[in-house]
Amino acid sequence: MASLRSTSRLFAASRPLFRPASFARSYATVEGTKNVEPSPSEKPNFKTFKVYRWNPDTPAEKPTMQSYQLDLNKTGPMMLDALIRIKNELDPTLTFRRSCREGICGSCAMNIDGVNTLACLCRIPTDGAKESRIYPLPHTYVVKDLVPDLTLFYKQYKSIKPYLQRDTPTEDGLEFRQSPEDRRKLDGLYECILCACCSTSCPSYWWNSEEYLGPAILLQSYRWLADSRDERTAERKTALDNSMSVYRCHTILNCTRTCPKGLNPGKAIAEIKKMLASN
Amino acid sequence: MARLSGLQREVLSLYRQCLRHIRQKPEESRGNFKRFARAEFQKNLSVSKKDFSTIEYLLRRGRRQLETYASPGIRSIH
Amino acid sequence: MASIMRPSLLRQTPASTRSLLLRQNVGVSQAVNFHASARKQILPPLPQSIEGTMNDPAPLPKPSPVHGSYHWTFERAVCVGLVPLSIAPFAAGSLNPVMDAVLCSLLVVHSHIGFDASITDYFRPQRVPKTHALLKWLLRGFTLTTAVGLYEFETNDVGITEALRRIWTA
Repeated sequence: MASLRSTSRLFAASRPLFRPASFARSYATVEGTKNVEPSPSEKPNFKTFKVYRWNPDTPAEKPTMQSYQLDLNKTGPMMLDALIRIKNELDPTLTFRRSCREGICGSCAMNIDGVNTLACLCRIPTDGAKESRIYPLPHTYVVKDLVPDLTLFYKQYKSIKPYLQRDTPTEDGLEFRQSPEDRRKLDGLYECILCACCSTSCPSYWWNSEEYLGPAILLQSYRWLADSRDERTAERKTALDNSMSVYRCHTILNCTRTCPKGLNPGKAIAEIKKMLASN
Repeated sequence: MARLSGLQREVLSLYRQCLRHIRQKPEESRGNFKRFARAEFQKNLSVSKKDFSTIEYLLRRGRRQLETYASPGIRSIH
Repeated sequence: MASIMRPSLLRQTPASTRSLLLRQNVGVSQAVNFHASARKQILPPLPQSIEGTMNDPAPLPKPSPVHGSYHWTFERAVCVGLVPLSIAPFAAGSLNPVMDAVLCSLLVVHSHIGFDASITDYFRPQRVPKTHALLKWLLRGFTLTTAVGLYEFETNDVGITEALRRIWTA
């Protein structure tokens, strides 16, 4: 028993040595681990977060920037942890979308320190002296605080028919098969989670969002154009062949730069342009 | 009557749309719907008519509400 | 003076923020008014207008390859063609009037397409229909004037490549 306790203590003592303290922390608040880690000399490391606030219930009031101070030593490593902690402990009226906290749902897309990214994939800069500014996605209509209105985005997604269109069944009546080479064409396309980070970072989309589809939707569009199982490629190509849908892309490549999943919407748009040109 | 601005006309048109949609509802609940629509408009009577962004936002919200309540599944409102 | 002032300023700021923190003991501090840009906005965004219901797909513009893929291919071809055409006369030293004419016309077409794209991007017909039309006609006028001017220059004067060479060596 004694040996067991000693080994566990050894483990607890060695933990901070082997990995950064942030990995050992739980999700939003590290209240539970306080008694495990002694860390007597740890000074509070305060950081200011400035958050865009706007309440739709009092629409006549203008948007404000509200600042919150958090001790980084008691907060998880990611921006989403900080936001959740602000909501839990400082201000329950703060509103933002979040769901999976691991970059797979795309709900927590927002503009953090000037870059569109997912709050759950964005580390809090440890420099406590600098404040972090958090805004909703740029050039969107705001629903509340950090929640943007993505109606147009989803409507545009629907307009490209994002599903398999096929009339001929397979010979054996089973699933539509694909060779590994054809499947490989979809790598870098199917990972897109439609978080709208890229579209809202694109100046062309800022000016012409009504007609230009924007990088995220065009990447999805290419995902269906490149699919070997889809039989309506020609139809999809004709639908895109106008001056606005694709050709407002001027290869600014903000989309590729900002994508929190590391995808390349700019390349997908270039592929679409190539496909349309080779008609 | 004074000439109305574009925004004012949009507000009126939204109100008319509401009334038109109410006519699709079952007869016994039309009064409820009408009262509700009036109350929704009256809530924001105090908004200054020069506060364009606010009115635009309220219009946006109103249209969305109308779309929701216009669905034939909603038969009455209390 | 400034350099003497600065250390004391630096020392002061952390102390004042700490005292502020101690006093509040809570992380919420005051809200500041938000201004993203100037009060008088240029072309402020219109209120959101959604065509159809939430569940309808957004309407796609009518397909027109002349403005879409053909236009793009033509534009790329002009761009690529301009590269050798603008190098060749200076590298090879040949002053072929035909080549000069081709270079001039491609330059005019290239700049017309470029400005046209800018107008389509920034002055949308739905937002500013009159400005859009005005700018389009202005651009057509300018392009025509440039084309006529270059034609005159090519036929009655030395031509564009020779002119550039003379300016370069002058």
